[in-house]
Amino acid sequence: MADIKAGHLVAKYLKEVEGVEIVFGISGGHIESILDGFTEYGIRTIDVRHEQAAAMMAHAWSVYTGKTGVCFLTAGPGFTNGITGIANAYLDNAPLVVICGKHPLRDDLKGALQEMNQIDVVKPITKWAATCYDAKRIPEYMALAFRQATAGRPGPVFLELPPDILNIMIPEESAPMPSRPSRRYTIHPDDADLEQAAALINAAKKPLFLGGSGVGLSASGDRLREFVEKSGVPFMLLNYGRGELPDSHPQSMWDIGNVGLLVTLGQADLVIAAGIRFNWLLMSGGVIPPAAKLLRIDIDPQEVDRNRQADVGLVGDIASVLAQLTPLVEKRSHSEWISTFKAAGKAFIDSELKARENPSDPIHPIRLVAKIQETVGEDAVYVVDGGDTSYFGQVGFVTRQKAGVIGTSSGLLGCLGTGIPFGMAAKLARPDKTVVVLNGDGSFGFNSMEFDTMVRHNIPVVVVVNNDCAWGMIKHSQEMSIGGDRLSCSELGTRRYEKMVEGLGGHGEFVTKDEEIVPALKRALASGKPACVNVMTDPTVTSPATPLFYQSLKMQ
Amino acid sequence: MKFSLLLFILFHKLKRAVKTNGAYRSYIGTVQLRILIRTADGKRGRLFVFDRGSLTSKRGGGFDADAALVWADAATAFKVMASGSDEESFLAAARGKLKVEGMAYYIQWFTDGVKLVMK
Ligand SMILES: Cc1ncc(C[n+]2csc(CCOP(=O)(O)OP(=O)(O)O)c2C)c(N)n1
Repeated sequence: MADIKAGHLVAKYLKEVEGVEIVFGISGGHIESILDGFTEYGIRTIDVRHEQAAAMMAHAWSVYTGKTGVCFLTAGPGFTNGITGIANAYLDNAPLVVICGKHPLRDDLKGALQEMNQIDVVKPITKWAATCYDAKRIPEYMALAFRQATAGRPGPVFLELPPDILNIMIPEESAPMPSRPSRRYTIHPDDADLEQAAALINAAKKPLFLGGSGVGLSASGDRLREFVEKSGVPFMLLNYGRGELPDSHPQSMWDIGNVGLLVTLGQADLVIAAGIRFNWLLMSGGVIPPAAKLLRIDIDPQEVDRNRQADVGLVGDIASVLAQLTPLVEKRSHSEWISTFKAAGKAFIDSELKARENPSDPIHPIRLVAKIQETVGEDAVYVVDGGDTSYFGQVGFVTRQKAGVIGTSSGLLGCLGTGIPFGMAAKLARPDKTVVVLNGDGSFGFNSMEFDTMVRHNIPVVVVVNNDCAWGMIKHSQEMSIGGDRLSCSELGTRRYEKMVEGLGGHGEFVTKDEEIVPALKRALASGKPACVNVMTDPTVTSPATPLFYQSLKMQ
Repeated sequence: MKFSLLLFILFHKLKRAVKTNGAYRSYIGTVQLRILIRTADGKRGRLFVFDRGSLTSKRGGGFDADAALVWADAATAFKVMASGSDEESFLAAARGKLKVEGMAYYIQWFTDGVKLVMK
């Protein structure tokens, strides 16, 4: 065998062992031989305009494809710019492999260019972080990285490689590749626990199934369908679990949205929480009535009793747990319970349902969402990013696509700016589907330069800006706390974002009236280009998420 | 009649709590909100105005508000509200006897405050 440039081993491993076809990042001198390896092994590179977008895209790639996403960062500022995306993946439990440059070991402590202690910075926001010091061991470290990213509860991992090991030639046989890719092993609960769980389900009169990202990450759609259709249990799928079963399924609760869910939870006698954490969005479990029984299913045993002790806990991958549980549950119908809570839920969101149906001037954000839905349909991928915008998008969009409605800024990091990178990854992962990002005008600003990336790489995503000329959620929260006359740093102006997009080579539309929404969307979709539809909406409208957010920070 | 009286008593209990109940005072904080409880025909009701720590009220159902609890009729409204039961409210909503206009969260905030005072 001939010699190989050691930096090429990264791409060789990615392509030949893991079958990776696409990676995301920005170039840099420290990682040049890794980049050249991508060319050598025919891996598609999506070079973005800010490294946070690369990390977010790779994270999103894993969500939309079920395969581990990979991003590459150069040493120093490339690394620090990627941090937000890594932290976001960490709090979202998303598998992500971050390949990073590092200053030369030869020049350590000499004031080398971009010299910094990256490992200590990244450790608290990764499952695993390491430096490879030996060129021959690059494939071994890569395999470790992939295993760590996917084993058990997934998460981001970080591997840095200094030029000392990348920019040298070594005999190819001295760095052998593993014979197979990393694989996920499933974990299964005990039979006794499964029987107890089934007994709870069989005895329940008013059960609810709450599925979170774990449902999506374990791709449990088929198993879930068997379970809910046999048990008759109504369900709400949230986060990356959304769309594992269609929102329009008769047992899905999405027609009453988050408010309906909160109202209904108070009446449930059994809550089955699968792959979902009891975090602040569920008031750390406080939304579940004390008298209700609780069954938790999670891949991480630490989650089972977290913030609220479970009556029964099943530890394992959701799909395999449901496969074991379904044969033990009795065939039931809960149709009366379902029609009762749906009627009640709708009574609590009466105004919102009316606002979807009726034009208003200025445009109500939920009306904008309804019009997008009407134009684009259920077989599309929706990404929602903003404050109030997130609420309206998540309750208003309906999908049949897996992970088909994601509120990217509604994760635990609450990270604005995630929408555009997620939309781009969705379009790359599912090129035959329409992808719409609904952005707050504030959050649009973080990664809107990625329209250049979309144009260069032909990624025709339609970004609709819900433009209330403000950091709306913060503005409305300040109105409640410090008062509308003392708003601080929460206002923006009327900006023609669509013109900026046109300048970058995309398609632009500006909308101020209800009747203009649909024609503008149709033109944007027909353009075949990355497009921005900038819609001026009612700046006075607040979503229910805002007072919830405001209350969560109130200390007295 | 009984419904209007119930709302009147409720206002006075809340008003007293604003003065004497520290927990309630801190609960309402600096919030500025107009909450209306009324019958669907608008003939009966009461508006509760929270304005940075103060509470005032007006009798009647024909006011603008940030959120309104709308009862199909006064008799159901009295029965369910006097019971103080979340389940009764839920079932009334399911039967079309109760709906929320505006943001349900504000109504939740209001009723959580009432529960705090009645504790
Ligand atoms: C990166 C980041 N910076 C700041 C915040 C704080 N924040 C939360 S919501 C919000 C306002 C969002 O405004 P916009 O995107 O316009 O959406 P809107 O609330 O108006 O719908 C801000 C600034 C955040 N969550 N993330």
